[in-house]
Amino acid sequence: MKKILFILAFSNTLTSELILEITQGTEDPYRVAILKFEGDQKVSNDIDKIIRNNLKRSGEFNLFANEDLLSLPTNETEVIFNDFKILNIDYLVIGKIVKDGISISVVYDIFDINKGKKIRTSTVYGIPNKNRQLGHYVSDGIYEEITGMKGISSTKILYVTENKNFNLMVADADGSNEQILLKSNDPIISPAWSPDSKKVAYVSFETGMAKVYIQDIATGERELAIENSSQISSPSWSPDGKFLSLTMYQDGNAEIYILNLKNRNLTRLTNHFSIDTESSWSPKGSKIMFTSGRSGSPQLYEIDLRRFNAKPKRITFDGNYNAKGSYLPNNEGFIFVHRENKNFQIAIKYFNENFIRPLTNAQLDESPSISPNGNVIVYAIKDDGMSLLAGVTLSGAKFRLPAKMGFVREPAWSGFLR
Amino acid sequence: MFILKNKFNFIIAIAFLSSCSSMNVTEERVYSGDVKTVQALSSADDNIRYDSKAVFASATIYFEFDKSTLTSKSIQTLKSAVNALNENSSIQITLAGHADERGTREYNLALGQRRAETVSDYFVLNGISKNRITVKSFGEERPAVIGQDEMSYAKNRRVEIN
Repeated sequence: MKKILFILAFSNTLTSELILEITQGTEDPYRVAILKFEGDQKVSNDIDKIIRNNLKRSGEFNLFANEDLLSLPTNETEVIFNDFKILNIDYLVIGKIVKDGISISVVYDIFDINKGKKIRTSTVYGIPNKNRQLGHYVSDGIYEEITGMKGISSTKILYVTENKNFNLMVADADGSNEQILLKSNDPIISPAWSPDSKKVAYVSFETGMAKVYIQDIATGERELAIENSSQISSPSWSPDGKFLSLTMYQDGNAEIYILNLKNRNLTRLTNHFSIDTESSWSPKGSKIMFTSGRSGSPQLYEIDLRRFNAKPKRITFDGNYNAKGSYLPNNEGFIFVHRENKNFQIAIKYFNENFIRPLTNAQLDESPSISPNGNVIVYAIKDDGMSLLAGVTLSGAKFRLPAKMGFVREPAWSGFLR
Repeated sequence: MFILKNKFNFIIAIAFLSSCSSMNVTEERVYSGDVKTVQALSSADDNIRYDSKAVFASATIYFEFDKSTLTSKSIQTLKSAVNALNENSSIQITLAGHADERGTREYNLALGQRRAETVSDYFVLNGISKNRITVKSFGEERPAVIGQDEMSYAKNRRVEIN
């Protein structure tokens, strides 16, 4: 008996290094009944758990299960809408697991209880032994149908861990399925996804100096973005994947350059005696935002790439520290690190508003990265000397991804993988 | 690409279906997402920097928050380092700039570099050849002291001369 317990505990630490905690949900959640899917019981249980965790974590759902309900339909003809209506349920999800040899798929239906009809039927073809992914796809489908916004459970997050050594990690958006991309004795910072999510660029100090590397996730092949004697950092991919903006210290000072990944030509973007770094591209690739110390304190600036010799335009004016900005996917604003009194917090500024909106209120929040649907921001926090990842949705839900050991930081959200 | 194309067709199918029955029909495949782990080969010389060449000119210069200007105390320290460098023309030095953990990592990397460049400029102005100096930054990645208080921060805002 003791042996079994030990194995269970051990396997748990192996599979989920990051544990999810929801700290605050939204005020008016969707009420959704998800019945246990028909078919293979083990797969059904696994997928049910994954779907529930994903939807709960969004903070936008109040979920009901078999035991909460008056009837348990197994197909469309058995659905009695009134049984759900009197429980004030808005949506019903039923489904089945289909196994054929080693191939596995899920077919599910979504019903709008108030309209009294089926609104979606979907099939997801899985990969053997990757039921977790299958569950993510189903929850993303449910999320999209109900909220009108694409789901992000099937997306991934890059981050760096420090525990004696430094590791660049990739995991599912819920922190599970963690895998190591790079192990190093030296610091790793600023990981960035290529737009197709097949490659990553990052800064590694393995040569004793900051250098930007590009690594293929599936093959592990890696190369220096630029081979010269300069310190190089802060990589950011253009939305079409053809260019990498980065910071180079060729003349001793941090300046932003654009690297053409095909012919390796370098174009200098900034030229100022103060610090210019942390570049990031607008969703359509027409502008670059960056942090500059040219006003005497770090502030965010924008350069319009469509205009010849365009002057950087300052876009933050509140406070004396605004840095590491990145655009919202819909280009309606940007997120950044803002100092308020002595605290560093994550803030958002919409282009059509003349004030900033703080999203967090701890002391040392940093490295904000927004999900591809534009709804969730993951960032790094310090808590009691530990560093860990936390998240906040634009609808107000908050969550944490605390590590069991070591430090976790520098999160970067992938694009859609579907 | 195949999947994307497929998906595009489905979107058309969805649009068509939704116009007549307002129900979505979707079909998709799970993305494989295989990962290969790589080990970085470290060539950083972190271990030797405190002993072999640290005898004459080794020193640490401290800075104010978000500043890269030298204090009068720093200048005293640098004067003796200049003397040591003048007396031993064979010594090569590395200036490694650092920042405290407040603020963003990339900005701190640039700030560390700026601090190291400030020290380098002082040496060059005082007759030391630029060829003898290597300048780099570790930003906030290599703190001298771990701690979230002003004492620790002050010890981490530094340039190490080795």
